[in-house]
Amino acid sequence: MAGGFRVLHLVRPFLAFLPEVQSADRKIPFREKVIYTVISLFIFLVCSQLPLYGIHSTTGADPFYWMRVILASNRGTVMELGITPIVTSGMVMQLLVGSKIIEVDNSVREDRALLNGAQKLLGILIAIGEAVAYVLSGMYGSVSQLGTGNAILIILQLFFAGIIVICLDELLQKGYGLGSGISLFIATNICENIIWKAFSPTTINSGRGAEFEGAVIALFHLLITRTDKVRALREAFYRQNLPNVTNLLATVLVFLIVIYFQGFRVVLPVRSKNARGQQGSYPIKLFYTSNMPIILHSALITNLYFISQLLYRKYSGNFLVNLLGKWKESEYSGHSVPVGGLAYYVTAPSSLADVLANPVHALFYVVFMLSACALFSKTWIEVSGSSAKDVAKQLKEQQMVMPGHRESNLQRELNRYIPTAAAFGGVCIGALTVLADFMGAIGSGTGILLAVTIIYQYFETFEKERATELGFFGF
Amino acid sequence: MDAVDSVVDPLRDFAKDSVRLVKRCHKPDRKEFTKVAARTAIGFVVMGFVGFFVKLIFIPINNIIVGSG
Repeated sequence: MAGGFRVLHLVRPFLAFLPEVQSADRKIPFREKVIYTVISLFIFLVCSQLPLYGIHSTTGADPFYWMRVILASNRGTVMELGITPIVTSGMVMQLLVGSKIIEVDNSVREDRALLNGAQKLLGILIAIGEAVAYVLSGMYGSVSQLGTGNAILIILQLFFAGIIVICLDELLQKGYGLGSGISLFIATNICENIIWKAFSPTTINSGRGAEFEGAVIALFHLLITRTDKVRALREAFYRQNLPNVTNLLATVLVFLIVIYFQGFRVVLPVRSKNARGQQGSYPIKLFYTSNMPIILHSALITNLYFISQLLYRKYSGNFLVNLLGKWKESEYSGHSVPVGGLAYYVTAPSSLADVLANPVHALFYVVFMLSACALFSKTWIEVSGSSAKDVAKQLKEQQMVMPGHRESNLQRELNRYIPTAAAFGGVCIGALTVLADFMGAIGSGTGILLAVTIIYQYFETFEKERATELGFFGF
Repeated sequence: MDAVDSVVDPLRDFAKDSVRLVKRCHKPDRKEFTKVAARTAIGFVVMGFVGFFVKLIFIPINNIIVGSG
């Protein structure tokens, strides 16, 4: 391969056609970065509310219902694909590079440009592929009902939305904004979902007449309109099939627990070799891989659901298909729920009553969740370049040494903490998700964890940016 | 018993490593925790309400769009 053919060079002809955001050629002031970030967010939010033109219906079963919050997508809108194309292409590229299938020399500028181009190209192809799959699978009514013209229109709308998300993310990444677009969109979508479930003014007809969807609104409404205050209070706290106050309290509790564990870290002292005696520290967090195990786990589950529902719809009598998952239309919300097979066992029990009714399901789910998170976390540090070896290499390049240790021992010292932090951190993430789901927290345990870790990172970014802006010397 | 040992030993090692890691960890004190919790909560609520109001505004707009469509 030396000097010969390289996979990455396949991308070169396409570079000219890819939409690209120019790198910031000057130092962007902090305030301007905030403005760019807010504008990007608004563009995303508006796209999330614009209905798709030409769709016949969205009443069919939604295979992605469970993951929409995490993938920042909204059913029947221009932002149907959400951030799926960009996240998927990012993961695929990361795996290809990490496993050396694609050779990249990060010190060569052209390689980095080609890698970015490849990732963008892949994202665009995935957007097209998913848009076509959505239309052909009958998500918006069968193709014969839509007509060819409308089908193509829908695909184009989804495709352009995918391009917009890719460009917005690149805008923020290139230094115009704070953090990454992906994180921003996920976190906002989750927060919006939770606030909406708490304060939604829409009413839904249930057996007891019209009820407000929002838990807090419903609480006050029930207390005001009911003569029996005690019963009203109990209903507000424990009503079924709609967000209730207990869900809200569980959400707050999980929020606080996550923040507490975020603060756990092993602080390793490091010293600069050149700048005489300049001291610093390298923190290794308990949540070393942050929310990545959850994202990978969600991606895995999403694909399992999609495949299982697709097969079940066509071959529901087949033994293997039933083994993969059995589905039933939910009476209340119109989406399918798994009721048997592997898909059922990897789904969180919907309540404590469910746990007691089927303890095997609950046990399998817990073990699967914890194991998957630990494995994903451990694997991720290898493919993402944050293993002990990679960190040691980085510190060496920055002329950093650890006091009391010879340079050659740096990696060994890091090895005592990083793999364990990754695996155990993954287990903790999984456990928190399970805990949240069992308590019925709004937005799902996965969602809350993602939102909190993302917002936490944003504040760290804020601190750093402001420190730089004000002229303080950071580490 | 060899089969059981080959499963139990790695788990025991992992548990031991994890306990050591947690003991070695710097843990946030009350003041630090409160500060971070407050700031994260603010971020959470701000983001949530931004999305909430965009959604609220778009409900009537969408009714108009879809109604005429």
